[in-house]
Amino acid sequence: MSAIFAGIGIFVLAISGVPLFIIMALAALVAFSFTGVDLSAVAVEIYRISSAPTLLTIPLFTLAGYLMAESGSPKRLLRLADAALGWLPGGVAIVSLVICAFFTAFTGASGVTIIALGGLLFPILKNEGYSEDFSLGLITTSGSLGLLFAPSLPIILYGIVAKVDIDQLFLAGLVPGIFLIVVLSLWSIKNGTARTVTRKFDFKELVAALKGSFFEALLPIGVLTGIYGGYVTPTEASAMTAFYVLMIECFIYKDLHIIKDVPRVVLDSMSLVGGILLILCCALGLTNFMVDEEIPMQILDLMREYISNKWAFLFFLNIFLLIVGSMMDIFSAIIVVVPLITPIAAEFDVHPVHLAIIFLTNLEIGYITPPVGINLFISSFRFKKPVTELYRATFPYLILLVVALAVITYVPQLSLWLVER
Amino acid sequence: MAVFRFIDQAIEKGAAALLVLAVALMLGLSVFAIVMRWFETSYHWLEPFVRHLVFLSTFLGGVIATGRGTHIAIDILHKKIEDTGPEWLKHLSFRTLNIASSLVLFWLVKASWDFTVIEFEYGREVFWGIHSGILVGIIPFGLSLIAYRFLYRFMHSFTKAAQV
Repeated sequence: MSAIFAGIGIFVLAISGVPLFIIMALAALVAFSFTGVDLSAVAVEIYRISSAPTLLTIPLFTLAGYLMAESGSPKRLLRLADAALGWLPGGVAIVSLVICAFFTAFTGASGVTIIALGGLLFPILKNEGYSEDFSLGLITTSGSLGLLFAPSLPIILYGIVAKVDIDQLFLAGLVPGIFLIVVLSLWSIKNGTARTVTRKFDFKELVAALKGSFFEALLPIGVLTGIYGGYVTPTEASAMTAFYVLMIECFIYKDLHIIKDVPRVVLDSMSLVGGILLILCCALGLTNFMVDEEIPMQILDLMREYISNKWAFLFFLNIFLLIVGSMMDIFSAIIVVVPLITPIAAEFDVHPVHLAIIFLTNLEIGYITPPVGINLFISSFRFKKPVTELYRATFPYLILLVVALAVITYVPQLSLWLVER
Repeated sequence: MAVFRFIDQAIEKGAAALLVLAVALMLGLSVFAIVMRWFETSYHWLEPFVRHLVFLSTFLGGVIATGRGTHIAIDILHKKIEDTGPEWLKHLSFRTLNIASSLVLFWLVKASWDFTVIEFEYGREVFWGIHSGILVGIIPFGLSLIAYRFLYRFMHSFTKAAQV
């Protein structure tokens, strides 16, 4: 009985806005108290994170993303993407998708993309003749579009929590990530041909734009070549990326001042990283308790009564994850749900890398799923529009992404092709 | 109250300075390690030192996030109250949130302090002669700072400035 009251109390505190890492810690402390385990075990679990070898990638890739977002990098890369793709029907919209995906991969879909790029892209899209709904929907959706691309923070976090190779996940996300961009690009082309005038390809402008953003355009190529060429580990790649971005933004482009700006950006990025890693630390105690009590196996036994095969499991998994993605922050969702899902998925013979891509795609869609998808609120705040208008604007994109999710779920080769080569 | 505010501001400034230093060190040392690898030289202390810098930064980042009120939370009820609730309910919700957070964290500080004591007794030197008990001590240290900031936010909510 007291366990039920404790559970209700923790739930009420959670929905009352008590930070999630404190809720996790409280749940672990209460659970260990009930089972008579010494409470210092919670601290032992917290300390366990300090031995994770890939831990360093989280602060350094995030710092690199924040430095770029605070510099003139969005403008330069926008010019490059515009010169390369702007001549296509729907070109400006495609440019927006590509540039947002690039930024999200580096900033980890923390809302920075919409804040940093939204103000730049919205007037450009409107000037090109796109409707307000189309433009708002596109920017809101793009705010989480690059989640499947290296070196996105959710991929790294998933790898750490599920104990899956991060470099395999980086590789696996490439084709599904491009697939999502292609689906949305086709939608943009459909709207683009109907509503806007196309312009000619200008090679000189492309060269000039490439010159202007050369050092930043090299980044994704450099990260992927470094890791898959076997030159650096993901951890070393994060250090090189952060150092490289710091150097080019402070000393080549001179957009940021090393004393006046960089400490501020460090604090901004590290307050996010600290928040995420604290949840991860405190959740370790709780998830270990759940694994010890065989809770995933109990859920599995219950599921087996209703679900008999892998494909039905994946169907219900998608529905469950879409709900989770629309209710919870992506980082919390990964930390809380992944340890429960992975043993069950393994029983249904789902490849761990494929599961990761399904999981992350669902959460990517969750960002724009009403009623509480976080991108809807960030856009509402950024563009000063009622959130109900954002629901309407993002609806076509939501449908398209759900269809793409079905393809990613039921065609595992899309995720596994590069990994199994 | 002025003393409590002074302590809170000192924590904010100290944590910010330490955080910037820690990030600069973790970045500088990681790049240094890569460069030294080209010369087939490695330092065994470097990797655990950097990992513990990240560990320390986790708590310092948490200290900053507490001051800014930007911790990740599922605040469905709190948001609803903030948007539409009467003034007294907003205050009550804010105070409950902060005092509950502070109390849970002090409970966790006690648990982690117990672990630190055990580690001092049975642990070992990790690098540079630093005992593992000191490294484990990062947990109660960091959590105490965060707990204090929540407690300060709770106390501050009763002042006239906060009421306005």
